[in-house]
Amino acid sequence: MTEENSKLLHDLRSKCSSLKSAAELYKDCSPAEKKEMLALMNSAAAEITKILAQLSQS
Amino acid sequence: MEKLNILVLDDDRLAQKIMTMQLAEHNTDTAGDLKTVLKKIETGRYDIGFFDLMLGPEDDHSGLKAIAAAAEKGIYCVVVSSSDSEEIIDRAYELGARDFYAKGNEESNVADILRKFAAGRKAAAAADIFTSAFITQDPETRAMVTEALKYAPTDLPIMILGPSGTGKTSLANILHDHSGRPGAFVSINCSAYTEDLLEAELFGYRKGAFTGAADSRKGRLLEAHKGTLFLDEIGTMSPNMQMKLLKAIEERIFHPLGSDKPERSDFRIISATLEDPQKLIAQGKMRFDLFQRVHGYTINLKPLSRRPGDIAPLMLHFTRSGRRLSFTREAKAFMESYAWPGNVRELKKFTDLLSSGSDGRVGLEEAKKHLRGEAAAAGGQEPRAGDDGLYRYALEHGLEAALAKVSDEMIARNLNENGGVRTKTMTDLKISTRLLYSTLKKLGLDTKGDKK
Repeated sequence: MTEENSKLLHDLRSKCSSLKSAAELYKDCSPAEKKEMLALMNSAAAEITKILAQLSQS
Repeated sequence: MEKLNILVLDDDRLAQKIMTMQLAEHNTDTAGDLKTVLKKIETGRYDIGFFDLMLGPEDDHSGLKAIAAAAEKGIYCVVVSSSDSEEIIDRAYELGARDFYAKGNEESNVADILRKFAAGRKAAAAADIFTSAFITQDPETRAMVTEALKYAPTDLPIMILGPSGTGKTSLANILHDHSGRPGAFVSINCSAYTEDLLEAELFGYRKGAFTGAADSRKGRLLEAHKGTLFLDEIGTMSPNMQMKLLKAIEERIFHPLGSDKPERSDFRIISATLEDPQKLIAQGKMRFDLFQRVHGYTINLKPLSRRPGDIAPLMLHFTRSGRRLSFTREAKAFMESYAWPGNVRELKKFTDLLSSGSDGRVGLEEAKKHLRGEAAAAGGQEPRAGDDGLYRYALEHGLEAALAKVSDEMIARNLNENGGVRTKTMTDLKISTRLLYSTLKKLGLDTKGDKK
């Protein structure tokens, strides 16, 4: 595995862990927090998609 | 738990948000890059720092620099990472990191780290305990209690051994205070109740469950919900009661007397006994499975006669808000060589008597007057495993020879006390004929005498 791929995988694991933890916390959030969390989760999901695209090209 | 100041370094905003939510009970500050975090470390005051190591896909573990800076300022540094090589983790520890957790499952990971941090802080504050709540200058006792305090915030059961009056209940209470458990400290002396009464006390009962049960009553197990149940003199409990208690400990569910409705209680067990639990098991007085459930960490409190250096500080503590006492050199020497069969409790009583009756300066006669009738200086002279003399003997001749020496002395002493009646010695000490006769032969005593 190249160093580039290794860093991408590290980033992927990190983002996926955050997304999973956020999903677990989501149900206990206030409506305002839910809105903020969803925005952050969407952003994380978009970054995950980006990383996956980079991985498939490498 | 006290409110802590916590710093979180993570370039991922979602991760920052998660940590802020997990640490909602504390003051949490966040940073997403090295420059910001270094500035915050320099200007702020933090108890704990959670540090991600890779700050962005192109970053080369710059979080390590933040750890070095934070550790230098005394911040408890925790590495938070999704995957890093052992080399990087080792480097983080070298720079001052104290803990590590892999990203994910934040709820239990963060709670676990906060618990460890609190335990470390409490252990560091243990020195205060030894001058206020559990007075001792004895290094061995201090080390044992300090170690036990590390386990206070866990669910590990703790067993406290030691003679009566050595402070077992006080210590159990201190351990509860340091446990962080929100429930109550509930204490029960198992020797004070008959089997039926103990069952009613522990499990509670419903109205009409037995003659005299005019009202329903909550048991100690339920009172100790989310707290600590201290079972003093657990070795006196009947085997039947031990079995019932074991079931309640294992399942955390029990039925009050006269009730079909099960009750649930999340209690932590601290137990105490005057006797050696292994001996109780060997004698069939204690169930091995119950022992296994209650003895996670064991503390052995020494009798006061084996820590005479504690006498003066304890007396000072007892008289801290009243009349101070001073002692002549002879009185001090007498007190230090006295057996103190009632241990700290007896010393407290002695101090109270002197405080209310004497003229403040206590001489030998005055001290003897209040301690007469006790076997002065006897308890301190008996061979004990912790004795320096016996210990040195073991170092010189080996443990087996030291244990044989103890065995010989016990048998010789008992024979002497029994007027040489060997069958009585075999019964008293629960030893075989073979051991008795081999000892008699070794000691050059008559093996063919007519005393049975």
